[in-house]
Amino acid sequence: MLVFAGIPTFALALWGAATLLTLILLVRIIELHRYREYPRFSLYLAINLLQTVLGVALYQVYGFASAFTYRIAWTSQAVVVVARALAVTEVGYLVLGKYKGVWALATRILAFCGLVSFGLALYAGRVSYQSSVTTLEIGLEACMATGLAGLFLFARYYRIGISPELALVGVGFGLFSCFRILNDLLYEHLAGAFGNAWNYGGSAAFVAVMLVWIWALRKPVAIPIHEPQLRPATVYARLIPQVNERLVALNEQLAQIWQVESPKS
Amino acid sequence: MSTVYFIMATVAAFSLGGLLLWALRGASHRTGHGHGLQALERAPQHLRNMTQIRRAMDAGDLEFVMAKGGASLFSRVRRERRQAILLYLDAIRRDFEQSLHIARIVAVLSPEVSGSHEYQRLRLSISFRFRYQAVRLGLLMGSLELPQITRLGQMATSLAVQMEEAMAKLGERAALAADLALQSDR
Repeated sequence: MLVFAGIPTFALALWGAATLLTLILLVRIIELHRYREYPRFSLYLAINLLQTVLGVALYQVYGFASAFTYRIAWTSQAVVVVARALAVTEVGYLVLGKYKGVWALATRILAFCGLVSFGLALYAGRVSYQSSVTTLEIGLEACMATGLAGLFLFARYYRIGISPELALVGVGFGLFSCFRILNDLLYEHLAGAFGNAWNYGGSAAFVAVMLVWIWALRKPVAIPIHEPQLRPATVYARLIPQVNERLVALNEQLAQIWQVESPKS
Repeated sequence: MSTVYFIMATVAAFSLGGLLLWALRGASHRTGHGHGLQALERAPQHLRNMTQIRRAMDAGDLEFVMAKGGASLFSRVRRERRQAILLYLDAIRRDFEQSLHIARIVAVLSPEVSGSHEYQRLRLSISFRFRYQAVRLGLLMGSLELPQITRLGQMATSLAVQMEEAMAKLGERAALAADLALQSDR
């Protein structure tokens, strides 16, 4: 247990709580067979636990100050972030996947946003290995948060219902990403002046999100949301241009009133 | 990391968090396309008042009222006509929202949607809402004077024919969309 000796008590408590809650959630998911609904989410939780085991082993063997440990720890963090990104896409699919047309459109638009975030991250993170990993993480987190916000905006625009369980899982991912961005930004901007506070913040946010997810997945079966019966694509192709024409006509009608009114205003 | 990047990224993170929570408000209570049929049944409602609205915009009437009834009656009639135009505007808005609603039902139930059509509709809805509020504000502040109301009346008259044609077309589309809504509820 030498590896824990150098860790402050508060950090150790947070780390222990996060690990325990992850384990509880994963066991609960396996017990209730919810991994069939959330395979990527379950994988993300499992990878998270594996990262913890790897971290303990590395710190035990090489210590906290080792450059090798540092690189492996950050690389494993990248794997966790990628696993989380996959879990986020799963949430997206569960929300919009049934609506094939809207889903296809959403993935194209949100993928574009993701590429922009990645581009910015790669451009900004070219200073050093440490900085690039942090900036890459900021980019990935921004990409995920943008994707989730965009996803829920799509659902709102098209009046698509989301089960409370799925909404909580999505909110958990989204807010966690936002928090990590802020945490990383503070750490980078202040050059680590807060020391362990960066770790405390990250762990506390993770614990909070875990509690949200445990609450969300407390029931054995999800509340079913109305299953849509899709119509042939020709219906859309025939109808939408006509409806849009009508909207254009109404908009032009209003624009003409506006033009009548505007010289006076 | 520059200060500008830090500030922008911080604002972006807070905005994303806020947007996420806002977008999820009432997500579990959304009925999806279940209200489609109800919206379609209401679709042609305001057209029944189109003739009266056209009459309300006749400048000749106001001139007659001014000549025969005096300034008091003139201002009262003018105020009431302004109310009629406001109601007309509101009817256009409802019509727009209903068409938008129909389009959403169709898009959601379609296995393929066109990005350009969806984008066009989004752009139109933003533009429409902005213009609607601006025109409504102008009317409420009384910035539309008699000649302008006359022009509005002329425009409404010329557009009435187009509206009726569009509504007739929409009637066919509404029947199809109603069928879609019914089938999706089964």
